[in-house]
Amino acid sequence: MSRDASASLRYPPYIHDWKTSAKAAWICSITLAPVVAWSIVLYGRSAALVWLVSVASALASEAVASGISRRWTLGDGSAALTGLLIATAMPPGVPLYVPALSAAFAVLVVKAAFGGLGANWMNPALAGIAFAYANWPVAMREYVLPRIVAGVDGVSAATPLTFAKGLAGGLDVRIMDSLRGASYPLSSFDSAVTGFLNDSVFSRLGARLPDGYIDLAIGLKPGALGESALIAVLVGSLVLVGLRLIKPVAPIAMVSVFAILARVLGTGLPGEAFLNGDALFSLGGGSVLLVAFYMAADPVSSPVRRRSALVYGAAIGALCFVFRRWGAYSEGAAYSVLVMNVVTPFIEKSASGMTAARARRRSS
Amino acid sequence: MIKARGFKGGGVSVDHRVPFKSGPIENAFLPMNAVVVLRETSLSVEPFPVVSVGQEVMEGQLLARSAGPGSTNVHSPIPGIVRRIRATVTPEGYESNSILVSLEGSFSVLGKKPERYLWKSLNKADIAHIVQEKGIVRVSSGEPLSEILSERSSRPGFVLVVNALEMDPYRRTEEELLSIRPEDVIDGCAIAARVARPARIVLAVDARLSPEIEGRLKGIIEASELEMSIMSFSRRHPQDMPRQIAESLEIVDQSALFILEPSTLVALHDAVVANKPHIEQYVYVGGGAIKSPAILKARIGAPIGDLIEECGGLVGRPDAIVLGGPFRGRAVADLDASVTRTTQAVLALTSEETKPAPERPCVRCGDCVAVCPEGLDPYSMLKLLRAGRGEAAIAAGLDRCTSCGACAYACRSRIPLVRDFRAARASEALR
Ligand code: SF4
Ligand code: SF4
Repeated sequence: MSRDASASLRYPPYIHDWKTSAKAAWICSITLAPVVAWSIVLYGRSAALVWLVSVASALASEAVASGISRRWTLGDGSAALTGLLIATAMPPGVPLYVPALSAAFAVLVVKAAFGGLGANWMNPALAGIAFAYANWPVAMREYVLPRIVAGVDGVSAATPLTFAKGLAGGLDVRIMDSLRGASYPLSSFDSAVTGFLNDSVFSRLGARLPDGYIDLAIGLKPGALGESALIAVLVGSLVLVGLRLIKPVAPIAMVSVFAILARVLGTGLPGEAFLNGDALFSLGGGSVLLVAFYMAADPVSSPVRRRSALVYGAAIGALCFVFRRWGAYSEGAAYSVLVMNVVTPFIEKSASGMTAARARRRSS
Repeated sequence: MIKARGFKGGGVSVDHRVPFKSGPIENAFLPMNAVVVLRETSLSVEPFPVVSVGQEVMEGQLLARSAGPGSTNVHSPIPGIVRRIRATVTPEGYESNSILVSLEGSFSVLGKKPERYLWKSLNKADIAHIVQEKGIVRVSSGEPLSEILSERSSRPGFVLVVNALEMDPYRRTEEELLSIRPEDVIDGCAIAARVARPARIVLAVDARLSPEIEGRLKGIIEASELEMSIMSFSRRHPQDMPRQIAESLEIVDQSALFILEPSTLVALHDAVVANKPHIEQYVYVGGGAIKSPAILKARIGAPIGDLIEECGGLVGRPDAIVLGGPFRGRAVADLDASVTRTTQAVLALTSEETKPAPERPCVRCGDCVAVCPEGLDPYSMLKLLRAGRGEAAIAAGLDRCTSCGACAYACRSRIPLVRDFRAARASEALR
């Protein structure tokens, strides 16, 4: 393989699309910048350090790997992206060896050892996240309140998802109200905005937005670094889809299946009933969106063809729901994608059998 | 306005069109030295030279005589003296004899007002003879026009498609000929129809053809009494593949299509009506590194450097100089390569256009699959080839790949898919 850019000028076609694999990775990383920035606003130094260490470790590992393979691959951006994605799953204030070792594991073991970019049998970032949960289960689940809410740094608290699971609520109470009833911390910003929205908009529609969703959307709640800026994640995802850097089929299938199941069956939270699950809370409370658009959509570990990608995405959504409903922790989304990464070759194989048959019909 | 037909599936959308100076097409200056390549393509059979070194030739005089099937007569593009006949290697990489003629003496074709024969009195055999005599080739493929015409006429029931759709966004010649020489294009079409006798004729035009030109064409067609319908197609690359055109015309059998482009029809027209051999070629000179892009009517054998010079020369350093087109053309190392009867464009591309990048491993993005207009799966074919399973790749459709370049254009890892596919087809064909 030629490492020389001018090699692409030696054969037709002589013009190319603007996209390159490296650009794709760098743009992906850049769209995470608002997420990084917001988490630093929320958690300060402890968040900044986690991002920094994770990315640095990923880059250093890539450098080591390129040194061994004698192929300089640092410029392709995929290592930096892996580092960033691993940090999204870390709680602020996690001991720094956790992101450091997870990122190193992701790049050196999962990525490099299997032949580098393009040959990954699973998404390195996800593997790194799973590695962290497996080795440091306690540290990975110690969340703190943003200092805007708590007033000081490092007040530990459970994430809304975990907290809600432990609640017993009446049937007709919405989950957010239950949380409130149990004096779950709520920012004054949320009360103000929600109050305003209810007075000006929802009251006229005869509806009421319970307190807390605004906190959920802007990250004023305990959670992993990447979960804090839901809006930024959404905007980033739209940019990636808009620039056609990722194909939206898999993530949209995943999110839709998950949301529908959560709505219909409920995710086992108090106040939910059949056909009356709180899909909004389930989507906003964890890392589903981030995992969907930044990890499930990773082309390397997801199916190439659209039809297979649909199956793949839908299966992740369903698995994700199962983990959320019956599993103990909120990292179900990451595990679901990992499971499907491993299954991808089988989905593709059965689908390619079908397309081959179609191609034969067409050419005959 | 007629409804635009879309091509089904795949393709690169090319909304922009390259700029160029519109208006009457200028004759390029006559080259001081014309190097006439005798074999038009790697598949052509070389004609026999009938002149010798030192001999004086007139403009349009026969230089080499057809050696039978696959071979055409070749004429001198300029008046002058034969300086050299020798084997050369063409930009495409095959060998061919070339005849060097240096300009001297007076001209007949350019200087005089062209005579106009009333071709309508000619019969099929007369026309076929002229086409053969004047060495007309199909501009898009280099095949001898007389051969494909007579081959067609022996298999009636086909549809003649006059394809005024550009082969890629870097060419405007066909569209331009349709707007500045519409009578000659339609006349050429009528001549071709007299020889080949198509069941019907379709004029394929770009969806954004101006209504004014369309109106004019309609008028001309009506006056010509040809069974001809205009169909417009939405814009993309590629748009010249028989199977894809057949599909969008809802014709099942692609061999029922006979595709000719306006530039070929104009050459045919000029041969029959004005007694002109195929010694001129419309060449689009453009690309980001050309100062003022234009379409020139160039003499065969003119060095491309002359044409570039006439278009104001180069601005900056081009990343690649390409003959033909950006998707399927050939890069040339220097500006001495000469114009042939199939040179449709000379491009000097900047790095903003070529967007070079080092090759990276396939990231399975699937973009190549999405753009393949033949509905193939370049990703899987590449994988099979890299695993050494050429036969399986052929079974997966590699033999239907048209080398259109859409997949490699889109590939974000800059994998030379087309190069690999070509090489694999060649080596499988040898088995
Ligand atoms: S070059 Fe071949 S494989 Fe690639 S897009 Fe064109 S037809 Fe498809
Ligand atoms: S476009 Fe290139 S990188 Fe993407 S799947 Fe095709 S070959 Fe692989």
